[in-house]
Amino acid sequence: MDFNLQPDSPEISEFRQEVRAWLAENMKGSEHLRWSGNWSTRENDEEYKFRRALAGKLGKKRWLFPTYPEKYGGAGLSLDHQFVLETEIDRYGLSLGSVFYTLSRLVAPAVMKFGTEEQKAELLPPMTRGELAVWQLLTEPQGGSDVANCQTKAIRDGDVYIVNGQKVLVGHHLPPDFLWTFVCTNPAGKRHENLGWLYIPATLPGITIQHMHLMMGIKNAVFFDNVRVPAKYLVGGENNGWKVANSYLELEHGGGGSVAEHPLFARLIAHCQRTNFDGESLMEDQDVRDVLAEMLIDLDVQRLMGLRNFWHRYVKQPHSYGGPQFLFLQRMVRLRNAERVQKICGYDALAPDDSVHEVADFEYTVRSGPGWLHGGGTLDTDRLIIARRLGLGRPSQEDAPTTV
Amino acid sequence: MDLKLNDDQNMMKKVAADFLKAEAPSHVITEWYQKKIAHLPELYKKTAGVGWLGMMVPDEFGGGGSSATDCAVVFEELGRGPLPGPYFSCGVLAAQLFLEGGSAAQQKSWLPKICDGTAIVIPALSDDPIQFGPKSVQTRAIKSASGFTLSGTKRYVQDGAAASQFICAARSDSGDVVLALVDRNAPGVSVQPVFGFMIGAAEVSFDNVAVGADALIGAVDSGWPVLEAALTKALPILCAYQVGACQEIFEMTNEYTRTRVVFGQPIGRFQRVQDHCVDISIHLDGARWITYETLWKIDSAVAATAGAHQSKAVASEAYYQSCHFAHMVFAGAGTDYKHPLMAHSVLAHALYQYLGTPLFHKRAMIDALYPRKAKVG
Repeated sequence: MDFNLQPDSPEISEFRQEVRAWLAENMKGSEHLRWSGNWSTRENDEEYKFRRALAGKLGKKRWLFPTYPEKYGGAGLSLDHQFVLETEIDRYGLSLGSVFYTLSRLVAPAVMKFGTEEQKAELLPPMTRGELAVWQLLTEPQGGSDVANCQTKAIRDGDVYIVNGQKVLVGHHLPPDFLWTFVCTNPAGKRHENLGWLYIPATLPGITIQHMHLMMGIKNAVFFDNVRVPAKYLVGGENNGWKVANSYLELEHGGGGSVAEHPLFARLIAHCQRTNFDGESLMEDQDVRDVLAEMLIDLDVQRLMGLRNFWHRYVKQPHSYGGPQFLFLQRMVRLRNAERVQKICGYDALAPDDSVHEVADFEYTVRSGPGWLHGGGTLDTDRLIIARRLGLGRPSQEDAPTTV
Repeated sequence: MDLKLNDDQNMMKKVAADFLKAEAPSHVITEWYQKKIAHLPELYKKTAGVGWLGMMVPDEFGGGGSSATDCAVVFEELGRGPLPGPYFSCGVLAAQLFLEGGSAAQQKSWLPKICDGTAIVIPALSDDPIQFGPKSVQTRAIKSASGFTLSGTKRYVQDGAAASQFICAARSDSGDVVLALVDRNAPGVSVQPVFGFMIGAAEVSFDNVAVGADALIGAVDSGWPVLEAALTKALPILCAYQVGACQEIFEMTNEYTRTRVVFGQPIGRFQRVQDHCVDISIHLDGARWITYETLWKIDSAVAATAGAHQSKAVASEAYYQSCHFAHMVFAGAGTDYKHPLMAHSVLAHALYQYLGTPLFHKRAMIDALYPRKAKVG
């Protein structure tokens, strides 16, 4: 076994130097910025503009989706190259998947796997060039975790689908360019066999977007009122949406893996080292050290499960239950760490600090525990999927879908 | 990055599994645990033939010269049994003590015997039953004309009854920990097996036992550092054994959810039952990957002290908790000593204590990463 994240070959090593130099140049001007989380209460325009411009530059360099074929805006590079890009941009506290707010990281693979040649040629390049903000519209008010119970209808009428319905808990504080939307294409059809995915231009008439003010920041409700969507934007075929969803949600559900270190622990250690209580550094307090030990173990287990999933994806042998297991663990760890941070920092854990990246902010951490329990399904849906993949109480085990 | 076992390791794993299937199938092991049989001398000798004793000992001393990861792969299979015996305590930990602190003469004399199974050298470390660590070493080593005189009682020595020799940790007049090699038959040594909700422990007493100066492993003031260095390399192997045990429990429990039918359906269809299996999976995989990352550090000569402590904390807790979750699923049937879960349940409680509890190792991990300031006065 080899856990080394940077066993660079000479060619890869050269590429790493190139990426490092490029980032050093193109990250200039960001020194005073502190990154918002993917779901943020900061709404800092200057930071957003910098990140959006950076995505454009990375896209132009074909480094946003480095492994994609050149004709779709990628660079035809290997996963080793992608790994270099991921780890180098991580040094700045950012990730390729969320340079700025767009879910292209999830949507592009679905188009890649299920799209027709025409769809790929039209839809992929603007996404891979980092030009578009794409939202994912999945959740509905009545549906929640039961995503197959989709009430947003898309009825074929000649060259268009007429879309009516409502989605909630989606997006970001700034408007989108496209809406990757789960719809019901056949209301009379059988469950799981009546669904489809539409790639909807956000500027079409009949679309209304309203902010929702939530624990972790702004999300939106999106209303469709007789929106006429060109039929060519149905991806994966009519009534085949469940299959598309299964494959692509595996990425959202942890199957993509991760290679990044969580910045929270280092910041907490620094806080403990410079904060005194009763004449002694918090770092000398046995109770604090015990809490730190539990936290480090949780974060290391989470890091290694993320690494395991990344590797399984890398060698194209999906781990049967690794995706939902990672997601379940991540939610539980976030919840436990929320309380741990408050235990150690007291009131300071409840006051936001804009001088640090949001993901390492204590107040953000405390909210993230309960506030992120539901994204991409609940804890309980995670466990349901694990149980099916393990074949508990069943004669056979469900396979993990392959991801791109 | 490469997170799979290599071909050789897969082969070693298979050889180990086949050997166990033939020599120590699950129902036989379950019976040994029920009868509190913690050491099978014939089987132990036989395993020397497949190279399980002293795997990490260099070839020149009759060992396998294996990497830590290779050794762990085999121990994972032993843990699935869970095969009882001094495979770890002697074959790994005692061997590492000789390798880290032993003189050339000691290494030459003892390592080959450990590897061929003719000597069973057992570390006898803590006196205190509550916690592991230098403070728990209370047996005295009083300086004598020819060496030392050992006095004290180690109440729970894992694999103590199997020993032909002990490596006794004792406190010298100056307060340092010394490690002394003692023959089990030396005058003043007595060994009394301890029975209870554990397996393999024995009370070992040293009543004015005389040892020569040449019996010390390492210098007078280096006993604990030698032990720490040996533990860093040895503990992850014990953790791999516990990972194998968790894997066995995981598979056994998942299978039971398919075959056990109540209220007209397999119990695995109940989400509360599913939750117990999910919890086992997290303990199992957490222990697995923390342990294998540490093994990789050892094999790559990267500092692994904190990782070894972390592994022991996580793997012992995982084994203990996996048994508890499995008991929730197996319910009454799983509390029968004839059920394979009982062997694991008993052993998990013993290994939770052995060489330090999870709490001890969590603290040692943090202390290794972020040393405390030295107290003044």
